[in-house]
Amino acid sequence: MWAVLKKEIKSYFLSPIGYVFIGLFLIMSSVFFYLDVIAYGSTQFETMFYSASTILTFIVPVLTMRMFAEERKSGTEQLLYTSPKSITQIVLGKFFAAVAVIVITELLTFMYFIILCFLGKPHLQTALVTLFGFLLLSMAYISFGMFASSITENQIIAGVVSIGFFIVTWFLPSFGSAISTFSLIDMFDKFPSGLIAVEEIVRFVSFTVLFVLFTIIVLQRRKSVK
Amino acid sequence: MVKVINVTKKYGNFTAVDNVSFEINDGEIVGLLGPNGAGKSTTMNMITGFIEPTDGTITIDGFDIIKKSKNAKREIGYMPEGVPLYFDLTVKEFVNYMADLKLVPSRDRKQEVERVLKETLVYDVSDKLIRNLSRGYKQRVSMAGALVGNPKVLVLDEPTVGLDPKQITEIRSLIRSLSKDHTVILSSHILSEVSQLCDRVIIINRGKVVAVDTPHNLECKVKKENAIILTVEDKNDKISKVLKCLKGVKAFELIKENADGTKQYSIISEDNVDLRKDIFAQCAKEDLVIFEMRNSEVTLEDAFMKLIQVKEEKE
Repeated sequence: MWAVLKKEIKSYFLSPIGYVFIGLFLIMSSVFFYLDVIAYGSTQFETMFYSASTILTFIVPVLTMRMFAEERKSGTEQLLYTSPKSITQIVLGKFFAAVAVIVITELLTFMYFIILCFLGKPHLQTALVTLFGFLLLSMAYISFGMFASSITENQIIAGVVSIGFFIVTWFLPSFGSAISTFSLIDMFDKFPSGLIAVEEIVRFVSFTVLFVLFTIIVLQRRKSVK
Repeated sequence: MVKVINVTKKYGNFTAVDNVSFEINDGEIVGLLGPNGAGKSTTMNMITGFIEPTDGTITIDGFDIIKKSKNAKREIGYMPEGVPLYFDLTVKEFVNYMADLKLVPSRDRKQEVERVLKETLVYDVSDKLIRNLSRGYKQRVSMAGALVGNPKVLVLDEPTVGLDPKQITEIRSLIRSLSKDHTVILSSHILSEVSQLCDRVIIINRGKVVAVDTPHNLECKVKKENAIILTVEDKNDKISKVLKCLKGVKAFELIKENADGTKQYSIISEDNVDLRKDIFAQCAKEDLVIFEMRNSEVTLEDAFMKLIQVKEEKE
């Protein structure tokens, strides 16, 4: 897993993708920081994350769309799948590389918290819980984005499928309670209030594990039908 | 070293590889030969574990490629068709990554990567981005990736496609030097390449093994007639008289008349008789000047075409 993980993180920052992702996120969250926090004269760091979480819908696919689609298109998947690494190791390597980029981004967003420290007394625990929830949400998004990338060799399709799916999950709550439990954004909304909700954590983790597994199954299956 | 037993690969109703079996011994260079779409790449992809056969088993050094894939894949260096590479890495980074994937322990890695870079003659470009390399270099970098970790078996899918003649000779001599320590399986549709490089040839057509033999034996199998090509200066048409008198000549015919007045004949003699000495002696006697005389050779090309045709006729 480490071999793939190291290489993927390197790739994110050798190509513009890593910088584009972090740059876009920071620009947009700066806007939300101003609109949601500063403009209200508040020191509640976490409130900006209600809006910031929607950005993930559009920028997580930037990280995930190339994961397997590009390897498949360029043929480098042959090098990967003929190496002694198992498909599980490869998938997890790629998954955690994308998670690492998110972690780096989150560390950078912590500067907003530091700014707030000069202006008042923001609540550290709530901020950390929010960032934790944000990480869980990102992981769920990444797992689906990765799955989308594994079913096609066209990066654009992988990206569009992911964005489409994420947008659909926004609207799930309007369809009644049974499906609304699958709304990722809704699951996240508990965290900025500073609560570590076990139910939400379980749902996020299950969602993530499910799509990581789906990715592994898709790639494993392609070996025998390809 | 490599055993392929009753392997079949089906895509839906289409059978790409049909009940293929062969064995490759330690230290051999074996060529997989066949027209485009014959199933060469599919076979190689199955040997390397990239795809799974619908039926049958493949073992590498005694390890099943599916059941013991980690052990088996460790012993394989694969250079896929079209040399896929990570263009945003440098040569060194790429080979390092391949070493990492192939479980080369980190304390030996630096040394191993350096060894491979030197062996494939890409050491001087090791800090260049792969994107900026020429085709010949890319091919060698791909080879370096296959070699790292010192696998016992090297699988090279069309290693010389798209190279200029100088690069082709370089790659070939590289393959030849590698064969001292590795078992090599290479695929090609260039017959001269296979006959130069390989100890044995496996001819595949339409997913089936048509023949497995040494290039020499294949040529012999197909060689039907013992023919000599003779070019003489023959103004007075004496040659037909000479040839008619010679014992062992079954038939002869004029192939062409050259612009310089010489004529080229094809002479078919009885089997296991070499007439060249007699022809030379007779021509000297009759004052005929010989410009060229040689045994007409059957090339692997002929063997290949013939074997493929025979198979198609049967069907």
